[in-house]
Amino acid sequence: MNGPLRTKLDSIFRDVETELADDDRLTVCVPKDSVVPVLSFLRGEGCDYLQLVSCVDWTERGELELVYVLSSYTGEANPPGAARANVLVKTGLPRTHPSLPTSIGVFPSAEPYERELHELFGVRFEGHPRLTPLFLEREYEVPPFRKDFDTRQYVEDHFGSIPPVEEGS
Amino acid sequence: MDRNQLAKWFQAPTKMAHKYSLHAVYFCTGCGIIEVPPVITARWDAERFGVIPTATPRHANLFLITGYVSVKTLRAIIRTYEQMPEPKFTVGFGSCPINGGMYWDSYNTIKHLDRYIPVDGWIAGCMPRPEAIFVAVTHLWTLIDKDMADGYKRYRTNYAAYRANQERALGELEWPPLFPMERGR
Repeated sequence: MNGPLRTKLDSIFRDVETELADDDRLTVCVPKDSVVPVLSFLRGEGCDYLQLVSCVDWTERGELELVYVLSSYTGEANPPGAARANVLVKTGLPRTHPSLPTSIGVFPSAEPYERELHELFGVRFEGHPRLTPLFLEREYEVPPFRKDFDTRQYVEDHFGSIPPVEEGS
Repeated sequence: MDRNQLAKWFQAPTKMAHKYSLHAVYFCTGCGIIEVPPVITARWDAERFGVIPTATPRHANLFLITGYVSVKTLRAIIRTYEQMPEPKFTVGFGSCPINGGMYWDSYNTIKHLDRYIPVDGWIAGCMPRPEAIFVAVTHLWTLIDKDMADGYKRYRTNYAAYRANQERALGELEWPPLFPMERGR
């Protein structure tokens, strides 16, 4: 169960906010500089699997929220019989020039996720060895997964302007 | 062999041979490829119609574009199409290659496949049933009979326009033009 984990986190880290949901899901909100220490701590506590790194674009709050979803393979974080709970680590970033240190050192599997977020949300991960394009072929002025990316306008400008080659096509 | 077609075989043997040995390049784009394994295996058995999947485009003459085409896939599609020996036939499978389908407002999916490579026929639907592939194949036979499946000829004559569209979608292409660029302008 995540109750003891929450107590430990609260006692060790001053700047985190924790919240325990009814289904034993622990949410940890941290400032961006504490992400790597918190992830490292959680890994030591048995959360040895980084499920994914995701990003939410809150336009009205004016921030991008990164979400690290952790769970446990070995079950050390969860005693036998307990539900296999997830730990969510959340951090807010400004929408202009968002950047934070990479977490590859803690979880090597974060590498493709961070490349993806760099490409689709424009989040810069400092210390990432290769932030090269992963899926996309071209440069976008606004990263395409942000809420202010106007897909219809983009499609009209880029694909709608390509003329048919032959009659009737 | 159907005896009624003997006359056709003597009149145009190459055409008949093309009709009944359609080697489809096993190229998967999008979700439509999920219909292809049942089509080529025992349940529907495309070999009854002379359609066999081929591992390499150099041995193929039928290109099924099965589903949405992302910009990155378009690059692979053009390279594959240009490697296929002539005569070659292209069939767009599903609604996405026709006009974008459900990806009509996607930032990374091309909408009209026939603006980048020539297409001989379309199979509408999302997804089309395996039977639709056979209907398309029989239609393609008719087109080949009537010399209307001429996409590869149109590619030659309009190559400059096709290449221009490809470059607009993909940026600078890293391979040289397949045909001389001055033709068809």
